[in-house]
Formats: sequence, structure tokens, C-alpha cells
Amino acid sequence: MIEDEELNAWFVQEVLPLERALTSFVRRNWRVPEDVFELRQDIYEHALIGARKALPQNTRAYVYTVARNHLINQAKRARIIPIETIADLDTVPRDIDTFEAERALTARDELRRAKEGIDKLPVKCREVVILHKVDGLTDREAAEVLGVSIETVRRQVKLGMKALIDHMLGGSGRIVRKSYPRRSKREVRP
Amino acid sequence: MNRQEAIEDRALEWLIRRNSPDWSDNEQSEFDAWLEESMAHKAAFWRADHGWQQADRIRSLGFGNEDWPIENSPQRSWRKMAAIAASLLAIVAVGGPAVIPHLGMTQQTSMEVAHFATPTGARKIVNLTDGSMVELNTQTTLRTGLSENSRKVWLDSGEAFFDVVHDAKAPFVVYAGQQTITDLGTKFSVRREGDRVTVNVLEGKVQVQDSQGPEAHAAIITAGDTAISRGPSTLIVPKSTERVQNALAWRDGLLDYDQAPLSTVVADFNRYNQTQIVVTDASAGRILIGGSFKASSVDSFTRLLRDAYGLKVERDGNRVIISSS
Repeated sequence: MIEDEELNAWFVQEVLPLERALTSFVRRNWRVPEDVFELRQDIYEHALIGARKALPQNTRAYVYTVARNHLINQAKRARIIPIETIADLDTVPRDIDTFEAERALTARDELRRAKEGIDKLPVKCREVVILHKVDGLTDREAAEVLGVSIETVRRQVKLGMKALIDHMLGGSGRIVRKSYPRRSKREVRP
Repeated sequence: MNRQEAIEDRALEWLIRRNSPDWSDNEQSEFDAWLEESMAHKAAFWRADHGWQQADRIRSLGFGNEDWPIENSPQRSWRKMAAIAASLLAIVAVGGPAVIPHLGMTQQTSMEVAHFATPTGARKIVNLTDGSMVELNTQTTLRTGLSENSRKVWLDSGEAFFDVVHDAKAPFVVYAGQQTITDLGTKFSVRREGDRVTVNVLEGKVQVQDSQGPEAHAAIITAGDTAISRGPSTLIVPKSTERVQNALAWRDGLLDYDQAPLSTVVADFNRYNQTQIVVTDASAGRILIGGSFKASSVDSFTRLLRDAYGLKVERDGNRVIISSS
């Protein structure tokens, strides 16, 4: 059994740098774009459960195997993907993603990337995130400085964090506000 | 919201709460339990934590840097609108001036924020641009935010002494946990240990308030008073000038006691030194100590305990163990 600390280190250093490539792999192989993030989260979960017993030798191959199995299982369950499209799943990407290759970002790259991420945020959200992250103000203090409610600050910080985290891990860093029906609901449809 | 979104949301909430200064042991165990519930929780939290840490670099840019000048457009538009709204409301609310001070805060132009911290055993004097002076005691972190019409200090942990240049137009306010301490022309100290806040007033007077909105309680304490607050309850110890002076002796690098139990004295020494004193039995802990000691000198203090009080003193690496012999 792998201890949490080691598992966390493996996940952060070996799995998360694959995020961008993994996300596009899922997107290419799944018909419903709204499901992509949920599928990715499931894949992380399964990858961690498996790795808890023993860390894999080749993380990249392991993660894609987990991803492939999960997509096949979901496709079978959901019956929304014709079975022949699953054949394509065998072609796991062989080319290394550039983002994955530059996993060891230098301090300057990290700063540049963080700045890009912040610049992408909407104005209000950006201001709250800067107060929170750069100036270290708490929710209450930021609410006071900006003259808005603490709930507004919390909501904006959360939105901003979510987008910035996505950006730092190679995603689009866009704020997604849309909510959509659960996948399971679609599954009951005839 | 689907399952993944709900978990990600929850993970972000934990991350925000964990990074706040009043993160408690209770919250920690609640959080640990949540993480243990499912590997999906761990995956979401570890991902968020890592991504957020990666963005930590921007902290090095500091406040009001040229890339995001907080007082320039477009960020300013939001604040400007808030200020206009506030001034309109102020006109309407002439009959109820109690509302105005709250809204008044939105009218400030720009705030200059700075961080200060001291390691174990160190003290530091900071002269603020408004002429006030802040002296940080051992293991203290605080932040200051100064602008034209407000002066704020957030005491995140530890203890500090304030010598404030009074300015009625820009009140000097210290935030320590739930308490806010507003200067009314004075010299005072604030010490924060978790949710316990102690205010000692050397000169003048201050207002101590548990900042819980409109139902907040405020008490004015004057020179020689000590206020000890825990959450919403505040105890005021009146007219004990000597006690206040003892409590402020750290400013001279001294610890002063008038018949305080050894356990209290030891706890103070441990705040100032890497070498930790451990008292193994309760009866030794109750021995009353009086006198003035150099905060940095564990050796001479423990020697005194051995020679004058007949206690057993053993050194074990970074610890000094005291027991009744």
C-alpha cells in the first residue's frame, strides 16, 4: 500500500503534466463534449486507486490504459457510442505533448504562465484573485477593500481559482459557468 | 451540477478555507475525513492544490504592480461604481449615520499593503509611512494596509506593540481574529494566540470590538487596562498599570513577572527560544515566580530554578526538562 504522501507526489509530478494531452485524448474519443471533465476526473480517480497498490513503471502508458478502459466501460454502459468507434481507442497518442515535455517549468516560465492565466480572467474576478493571491488578503478583508459582500468575494475567488488552476495545468483557463444535466440522466433515456 | 463539478467545487472551498489564517484543528479533522471518503476527493483536491501552488509565483509581483495597477482602469471601474453607489446612499441615509462608516471604506483611493514577520526570538521595529510605529515580538506575522483615509493592520499571529499617530480622518484599526481594535490616540499592544486576543493599553485609549456586523459589542479601554477576548466574550482587567508594564517588558527583551505560575513563565520562554522548556509535573508548574528575566537566556533562567527553587534540571538535545527533585 502506497502512503498518501508518496501517492500525492506521484500524481502531481507524473500524472498532472499529462493533463492537457489526456484531456484532448478524451475529447477526441467521446461524443459528448460536456462529459470530458467528468471523465477526466473519473480517470484520475481510477488511476489513483490502481496506483495505491503499487506505483506503475510507466505512468504515461498506465494512465492511457486506465483512460481507455474507462471510456470503453462508459460507452458500453451509456450505449451512446457505436461500438466500432471504440476501435480507434487503440491508437493511444505516441507523440509527447509539448506541455508535458516542459513539465519542469523554470521560475520565470511559471511566473509568465501565471500572469497569462490572470490576464485571461474577467475584471472583477481578476481583482479578487489578485487581492487574495498576491496580497494575501482574507475573504473578509478583500470584501472590505472592494466594498462588496463576502459571498461575492468567495464566489469570484472560486471561479478565478478554478480557471487559473486549469490554465496552469495546460487547459484553456476559461471560466465555465454553464451547468448541464448529469450524464446518468441521459442514460435512462430510451 | 454533476458529481465531478460538485467535488471540484468542494475541493476549492477546502483550499480557500485551509489557506485562511483562522483554519482550526476542527476544520483540519473535518477536511481529513472528507479526503478519506473517496479517492475522487483526493484526486480533485491534489489537482487543485498543485495547480494553485503553481500560480504562487505571481505573489512575487507584490501589490499594485505595474501590470495590474489597482487604481487604474479597467479594474477601477468596479470600485468607482461602488464609491458612487456609496456616496448616493450616504445622501439618502443622512438620518442614519450608522450606515455611512461601512460604506465609507469603498471610497478609498489606493491602499499600500506590506507584510512583516519575525522568527523565533527576534523583534523588529517598523516605522510606517503615516509616522506610526509598530514593534513586532517573537514569531509574529502581520500585514499593514495604508491609504489616505484608512490605516489597517492585520495581526495574523503573534504580538505587536503600536505607537500610533492619531488621525481622526484615518482611523488606525488592528484586526486580530474576530476582534477589531481601533486606536483612539494611544500606545497599546495586541497579542493573538488562535482565537484568544489580548490587548494591553499603555497610554491613551482604544476601542475593542468583536467584529460581527451590526450586533457587534464594543468596549473602550484606557491606559492600564487589559482586555482578553475569546470569540465574542471579552474580559477587561481594569487599572493594573504594573501588569501592563510587565506584559510589555518584551520590548526591552525582558520577561517580567509578579508572582506568576512557572507554567506561564515557561510558556513565554518557549515563545522566544528554539530550546523548549518542559515542566514534567503539575506541582512544579504551580510554583510562583517573580522577577525580571532576559527572554533569550534559557540557561540562566533554568539555573535559577535549580539553585533558588531546588528543581531538577536536565538537558536533552533541544529540550530542558524541569521536575521536582
